[in-house]
Amino acid sequence: MHKVWAVVRREFLERVRTKWFLISTILGPLFLIAISILPSLLATKAGRVNRVVLVDEGAGSLAQRLRTQLGRSGRFSIVVLAALPERHDATIDSLTGQVRLQAIDGFLLVSGATMEAGMVEYRGRNVSSLRDMAVLESTVRQSVVVERLNRRGIDPAVVQEAQARIDLRTFRITRRGATGESGEATFFLGYTVGLILYMIILLYGMNVMRSVLEEKQTRIIEVLVSSLRPFQLMLGKVIGVGGVGLFQFSIWSVVGYGIVHYRRQILSWFHVSAEAVNAVHLPAVGGSLVAVAGAYFLLGYLLYSALFAVVGASVNTDSEAQQAQQPVMMLLVFSLITSFAALSDPGGQLAVMTSLVPFSAPIIMPVRVATSDVPQQQLALSLAIMAVTSLVVVWGAARIYRIGILMYGKRPSMRELWRWARQS
Amino acid sequence: MNHDTVVQLSGITKRFAGHVAVIDLSLVVPRGAVYGLLGPNGAGKTTTIRMMMNITMPDEGTVKLFGDELGGRHHSARLGYLPEERGLYRKMKVRETLVFLAEAKGVARGAAARKADEWLDRLGLGEWRLRKVEELSKGMQQKVQFIATMLHEPELLILDEPFAGLDPINQQVLKDTIVQLSRAGTTIIFSTHQMDVAEKICDHVCIIARGRKVLDGALAEVKQVHGGNHVAVAFEDGADGGAAVGSVGDLVAKADDYGVYAELALRDGVDPQALLERLMRSGTRLRRFERIEPSLHRIFLDKAGPDAAQDAAEEAAHA
Repeated sequence: MHKVWAVVRREFLERVRTKWFLISTILGPLFLIAISILPSLLATKAGRVNRVVLVDEGAGSLAQRLRTQLGRSGRFSIVVLAALPERHDATIDSLTGQVRLQAIDGFLLVSGATMEAGMVEYRGRNVSSLRDMAVLESTVRQSVVVERLNRRGIDPAVVQEAQARIDLRTFRITRRGATGESGEATFFLGYTVGLILYMIILLYGMNVMRSVLEEKQTRIIEVLVSSLRPFQLMLGKVIGVGGVGLFQFSIWSVVGYGIVHYRRQILSWFHVSAEAVNAVHLPAVGGSLVAVAGAYFLLGYLLYSALFAVVGASVNTDSEAQQAQQPVMMLLVFSLITSFAALSDPGGQLAVMTSLVPFSAPIIMPVRVATSDVPQQQLALSLAIMAVTSLVVVWGAARIYRIGILMYGKRPSMRELWRWARQS
Repeated sequence: MNHDTVVQLSGITKRFAGHVAVIDLSLVVPRGAVYGLLGPNGAGKTTTIRMMMNITMPDEGTVKLFGDELGGRHHSARLGYLPEERGLYRKMKVRETLVFLAEAKGVARGAAARKADEWLDRLGLGEWRLRKVEELSKGMQQKVQFIATMLHEPELLILDEPFAGLDPINQQVLKDTIVQLSRAGTTIIFSTHQMDVAEKICDHVCIIARGRKVLDGALAEVKQVHGGNHVAVAFEDGADGGAAVGSVGDLVAKADDYGVYAELALRDGVDPQALLERLMRSGTRLRRFERIEPSLHRIFLDKAGPDAAQDAAEEAAHA
C-alpha cells in the first residue's frame, strides 16, 4: 500500500504543480463568474445608442412611426433624411461614407414600396450585433403591420390591443412542486452539467493515457515493474490523476458556491442594483445533483481512465496514441451528443436507455437528474451497472496493461489485446 | 544450491517470433562477485538480464534469485536494476525522482531524501538536485539513474551496459563506485562489450554469443584454461616484423601483428624458448620478448568473434 501511495502522491503533485493546472483552475471560476454574473450585468447595462439615419424615399407616415418606435427602444437615435428616389445611389454613397467616417452607425432605407413589397434595407457597422438587429427587425415589422392595418381603416384601438406584447414564461415542476425556475435555466443547467462531466472525464482520462505512455517511452517502466506490481502502478496512477480531478472540481465548487451566494455583493461593486440581480433566476443546484454528478464522475472516470490506460499501454508513440484513442473518444463524444437529445426529452426512451448503458450513463444520467425527476430505481440500477462494468473493465485493463507496458514495436490488434487480457 | 549463490540460471531458453534469443543458458553468480556478462551486440545479454529480473519469462528453464523462484519483484528491495534503455521522468525534479524511485522499492521518504542528497553530492550533482531532469545533460541523467539503482542499498546490482554513453571521466567515477560497492559486499552483475573495462573490474565472467554460453567462470581460471600459450614480441625500429613473424610461422597458431609489435599464440606444445632462439638466429633485433596472459579481449575474439562464428557454423553444418 505504501508503494501505491508513493505513485498516487507522485501523479498528484506532479500535476498540481504544473502551470496548466493553475491556469485551468483559475479559468474555471472565471467561466462560472461569466455564466452567473454576466446575465445580470448585461441586463442592466443599456447597450450603446446607435446613431442611425432613416432615409425616407417617400414612405410617408411609416417613416414617422419608425422614428418614434425606434427612438422609444432606447437603442437608436434616429435622424430622418428625406431623399429623392431618383438620387438613390448618390444618397447611399454619401451615407456609406458617413458610416466609414464613423459619423453614424448605419442607415435604414424605407420607400413607398416598403409597405407593399415588405422590403427594408439596413446598412451599417453594427449588423453583427444580434440584439440590435432583433430590435430593429421587430420594430420595423410591427410598424409596417400597424401602417397596413391603418390603411385598411382598422380601428386604431383594436390595432393597439392586437399589438400587446405576449410573454411566454416557463416554469419547471418537480416532485417537490413548482420551483420558480425557468425552463431556460433548467436547460442551461443540464447542458452545463453534461458538458463539464464530458470535459473532465475526457481530460483526466487522457492524462492517465499520457502518463502511461510517458513511462513507456522513457523506459522507466522497466525499473518500475521490477519494483512494484503493474496493478499497483496502474491503481496509483488512476487514483492520483483522479485525485487531481476531484481536487480541481472541489475548488471550482467552493468558488462557484461563493460567487453565487455572494453575487449581490460582488455585483454591487459593478454598481448593479439588487433588483437587477434578482431579475435573473439562476438554476438551483441541489445537493442531490452535486452528489449524483460526483458519483458519476468517479465511476465514469474509473471506466474511461482504465480504457485510456489500455490505449497508453498498447502504443509506442504520441501519434499512435492519437489514433488508438479514437474509439474511446467516440464513446464519449457519442454520449455528449446523445445528452443533447436527453436534454429536450429527459424521460424519453433514448434518454432512459443511454442512462443505463455504462459508457454513456456518466454523462446522460446527471443531465437527466438536472433536468427532470429520475425514478429512484432507475438511478440505483444505472449506478449498479456502472459500478460492475467499471470493475470488470478495470480488471481487464489491468491485465492488458501488465503485458502492454513491456511490449515495444508493432501495435497489437484487438485480438492480441483480448489474448493478453485472458493470459495468466 | 548453497547460500553463497545469489543468481542461478538453469537451462533458460527464450524464443521471440522468428528467432531464438537465448539458448539453454546456465550460469551461477556467487555472492560478492563482480560478474561480467560479455558478448557482442545481439548476443542475448539484455534478454538474459531481463529474464533474471523477471521482466520477461523464459520459455524453458528456471531463474533463481537468492535461492528461490519468486522473481525480481518479490526481492525488489534487495535488488537494483539499471535497464539498457535509459530514461527518467523528464519534467520531475532530480531529487524527487530519486525519492520516488526509492519509495517504490519500499524505502521511507525521509531516509530516501537523505540518501539522495548524499549520493548527489558524492557524484558531483549536488547543485542540480532541485532542477528538472530534462535540464541535465545525458551523462548527468545517467548518473542520476545510476544513483536510483543503488539508493536503497541493494545486495545485488544488475546493470545493463552501465558504461555505454559515458565520457571517460564519468566512466572512471562509475568504475570507482562499483569497486567501492563491491568491497562493501554488494554482488554486481553487469553486461558490456568493452573487454578492457571488464578485465579490470570483474572477478567472474560469462561470455555469450549468438544466444549460447561460450565460457564462464572466475576470470583467472578462464584465462588459464582458454589462454593457451601467448608471447608478446616488440621489434626494434627498422626491423621487418612481418617477415620475422612469417619466418616462424610453423611455431605460431595465430598472430596478431601490429607492425612493430605482435601478439603470437603458439601451437600446442611449442616452447616459447624455441621461438626466441629462432628469432635470434634469424637476426631480428628485439626490444621485448615476454610470455603473456591473453587479454580478455583476445579470448573474447577467439570465442565469440567472426572466426568463432564461422567455426560454429561449420560445426553446425557437419552435424
